[in-house]
Amino acid sequence: MSIIIATELSCQRGQFDLFRPVTFELNHGQSLLISGPNGIGKTTLLESIAGLRAISQGELVYQNIELSKNKDKWFDDSFFIGHKTGNKKELNCLENLSLFLQIQGIDISQDQAEEALEKVGLGGYEYQFAGSLSAGQKKRLALARLLLIKHPVWILDEPFVNLDVAGCEWLLGVLNNHLDNNGILIITAHDNQSIRERTTQELILEMAQ
Amino acid sequence: MKPFLALVKRDLTLGLRRKSQIYQPLVFQLLVVTMFPLGLGSGAKTLALIAPAVIWILALLASLLTLDQIFKNDYDDGSVESYVLSSSPLSMAVLAKVLAHWLLSGLPLVIFAPVLGVLLHLPTASYPILMLSLLIGTPIFSFIGSIGSALTMSLKHGGLLLTVLVMPLLSPVLIFGAGAVVESALGNSASQHLMLLSGLLVLSFTLVPFAAAAAIKINLE
Repeated sequence: MSIIIATELSCQRGQFDLFRPVTFELNHGQSLLISGPNGIGKTTLLESIAGLRAISQGELVYQNIELSKNKDKWFDDSFFIGHKTGNKKELNCLENLSLFLQIQGIDISQDQAEEALEKVGLGGYEYQFAGSLSAGQKKRLALARLLLIKHPVWILDEPFVNLDVAGCEWLLGVLNNHLDNNGILIITAHDNQSIRERTTQELILEMAQ
Repeated sequence: MKPFLALVKRDLTLGLRRKSQIYQPLVFQLLVVTMFPLGLGSGAKTLALIAPAVIWILALLASLLTLDQIFKNDYDDGSVESYVLSSSPLSMAVLAKVLAHWLLSGLPLVIFAPVLGVLLHLPTASYPILMLSLLIGTPIFSFIGSIGSALTMSLKHGGLLLTVLVMPLLSPVLIFGAGAVVESALGNSASQHLMLLSGLLVLSFTLVPFAAAAAIKINLE
């Protein structure tokens, strides 16, 4: 029995279906790449899976229980990073990282946060305001959370955007490590061959009729 | 409890760095209150008569200046999503946001009120009741405002809509708050008004977190 089972899942914007219903199953150590043209609804689908939006059609089951009845467990186990990162420009990197996770109920020490920033390539920027970082550095600041969480399910919306080559390689390593440790990954990414080769399934969204 | 405290701490840090949320309402109050003697052109007696109403209306309007910020910034940068996806209840996040907003924008109004009282010749004996009524009343502004802010957070210019939504709900607060100060200025007991005001505070404390949480979820759909 798979951990996550989605049957005939579809999302609506207004009254219109965005894409043809999709079906997939995911188990420990497996990953799903969602692709398709711009505007097809990749982000909407990811947000629905994460629990930010209601699922308009179909069924999503997590550990044998329908997701809407199992929300607390799902929120405990899944971690979502979207386009909007939730970082505050008036807070420095260290504050952003640790307060964000603490608000989510994840306790981390100052040392852990500093170590994560070091690993993500923001060593020396600990006390710099997030507002003064470049777009790529902001993305790195958000992705540093991945080093500090223990959630088995990661849901990432375009995590490679704005990252440089070294950043992409670093992220790929982190994702590989997560999957090797029996994690589950649901991801959208454009034009990234390495992640396409690594993911176990690819889901191409098609226009609804 | 920890996520709650972390959220309050973050918002207080942000507020103290941005500062405008703290001083804008106060500057606004001071500017408007100095216009009253000029516009009325009459002596201390008339001013003292209208002082309770003016101070309370100004507190209401000054609060409205910052109410839309409760969730607007968080919506724009994606923090709201993290409250929804957090394993702690969304209503607790609302409570934390309201507490932080009141500490930054409401409490200064309470402390600043005697200055307005002096400028409007409010009888000295009414100062304690004035501050007490504001102490009970201003958190209600933040509570009810959080519903309005949650409903309008996705709009670019939701300020006016928020005012229209929130004003009618806040009118009882104004009636009992200003009423308490009027009674005390007349030398009567203000306890009746203050008790009704406290009742409103308890009511909003218990109901608003759930209402605002529902409004946030509707807005993210």
